[in-house]
Amino acid sequence: MNGSAALVDNANASQSRRVFWDQDVYQLELERIFSRCWLMLGHDSLVPKSGDFITTYMAEDRVILSRQPDGSLKAFINSCTHRGNQVCHADSGSAKAFVCNYHGWVFGQDGALVDVPMEERCYHNDLDKSKLGLTQIRVETYKGFIFGCHDPEAPSLEEYLGDFCWYLDSIWDTPDGGMELLGPPLKSTLACNWKVPTENFVGDGYHVGWTHAAALQMIGGELSGLSGNRADMPFDDLGLQFTVRHGHGFGLIHNAASSIHVKRDGYVKYMDETRGAVREKLGPEREMLYVGHWNTSIFPNCSFLYGTNTFKIWHPRGPHEIEVWTYTMVPKGADAETKRSMQREAIRSFGTAGTLESDDGENMSSATYNNQGVITRRGRMNSSMGLNREGPHPVFPGIVGVSFIGETSYRGFYRFWQEMIDAPDWAAVKAGDADWDKMWTNRNFWPDRLAAQQAEPQD
Amino acid sequence: MTQARKTVGMELHHAIVSHYSAEARMLQNQQYREWFDTVIAEDIHYWMPVYEQRFVRDRRPEPTPGDAAIYNDDYGELKQRVDRLLTGQVWMEDPPSRIRYFVTNVEAFETAPGEFEVFSNVLVHRNRRQSEVYVHTLGREDKLRKAGEGFKVFNRKLILDARVVQDKNLYFFA
Repeated sequence: MNGSAALVDNANASQSRRVFWDQDVYQLELERIFSRCWLMLGHDSLVPKSGDFITTYMAEDRVILSRQPDGSLKAFINSCTHRGNQVCHADSGSAKAFVCNYHGWVFGQDGALVDVPMEERCYHNDLDKSKLGLTQIRVETYKGFIFGCHDPEAPSLEEYLGDFCWYLDSIWDTPDGGMELLGPPLKSTLACNWKVPTENFVGDGYHVGWTHAAALQMIGGELSGLSGNRADMPFDDLGLQFTVRHGHGFGLIHNAASSIHVKRDGYVKYMDETRGAVREKLGPEREMLYVGHWNTSIFPNCSFLYGTNTFKIWHPRGPHEIEVWTYTMVPKGADAETKRSMQREAIRSFGTAGTLESDDGENMSSATYNNQGVITRRGRMNSSMGLNREGPHPVFPGIVGVSFIGETSYRGFYRFWQEMIDAPDWAAVKAGDADWDKMWTNRNFWPDRLAAQQAEPQD
Repeated sequence: MTQARKTVGMELHHAIVSHYSAEARMLQNQQYREWFDTVIAEDIHYWMPVYEQRFVRDRRPEPTPGDAAIYNDDYGELKQRVDRLLTGQVWMEDPPSRIRYFVTNVEAFETAPGEFEVFSNVLVHRNRRQSEVYVHTLGREDKLRKAGEGFKVFNRKLILDARVVQDKNLYFFA
């Protein structure tokens, strides 16, 4: 592909519809994004003890994630090095070895080939087992969340998350231990391009009031005012939007963490009891993040709602389909009953039969499949809401947009998408570190706005 | 199922099968309020657990209501799901989709006077928009009690056959 300028236009905040449809674009994504970025595999809580494993995906590759006797983690491709059969078909379990069903080759919990049937009689001990282990994957964790990466040139996970760590720490590095995942995951397929749900979670506060009008009315509470996008809502005061260098981003609704939960006494009590310690450890700005509701994506294909606490991985299945895995993310320090209640509320709203999630399915698939038409596909998609009402902020790292209803995080997501698609390797990406945010030209937006707010008389 | 208990007699069996037919008809006709008011008991537990793929040797217990479940609802929560469908602002259901239920293998046992444990197979066929088709099969384990002329369900466990749901959502009642 000759550069991607036609696919993503940063200055005018638009993207070609081909990014949701074209097979050649998708192949490039597999090579330049999914084979190079850190991808979400899970959390320590899913594989707590030696021998515990889960099977999962990295894009279209099946992988096994296994806890080692020394407490470390290994991940390897779930495909036998003999004739390629899938080695493990269980979702999770505990195993010291994985035995391929086809000819019985045995792989250790570290992925090494440890035994083959009739090694002496039929291989005459000529098989070099040391070269036939399952293909290993880089594994690193951040605050208990486990990521995998295929590219030895990729930066460390912490560098890849970069400035986003500052934000993640306000929920993942709290004084009582941050968060963990509860499984087993719900799984379903959806006929959409993987970027549609990712962009929706990273930066779409706009759709909430319209798409989810019915559910918001039914739930009531803080967010019911959004239902129908009423003109009298002070959207600029309700939250903010963030994006960072490697495409991660989120929208924040102030003081709304638990607002989608109907039964939430335990959660509210937990938040009231812990926010003081968060303020003490991380400061008032991150206490503000801690008590807000986040719609978040970690580039490329992991999303979560902090507060509602649904946690998603959008595994691509070609350009027009995904397999959605849904976990629940809960504070480690909450009591067991509160965690159970959070899980029920998170799944009731954002599981496979979610009262909100069920509203979104058609938006996802229709935005993809409309591009079957060649004339339709020649068109572009707009993401210019709030353009220029954003910029660098004196407190918050990355680029900050003025309202949670805006498209700042879309712009940051597609900016990095384009950079990865254009870059032949990680070295080319790293070369852009210094001026990644130059497309946000309104450099004084926040200093000016904050000064003006300070100048206003307080009443 | 290993308990020594007898299936109900022909007349009761017929009444329970008819009850299920009427229930399916109400859901097919989008009479969600009527369905909720006539067949759901106030002490309902409406539950669709998530079953993982596990090795036969795996000795971990079956999912309980404290574990992940696609539905895990009490009366008020089920009512909220019904209310959502009746707001007129669920865009995916306008125009409405078509749903058809096939309920078979009904097997009923009287567990206490006027209380029944009933097993059935359910095939759900959904059509929406122009050409979207989705099919689900489930096992259903109910606890019914006599209520007036009919029955109300106070415990419903829905066992989904597919590990990966091949549908946009599972927002239907079964």
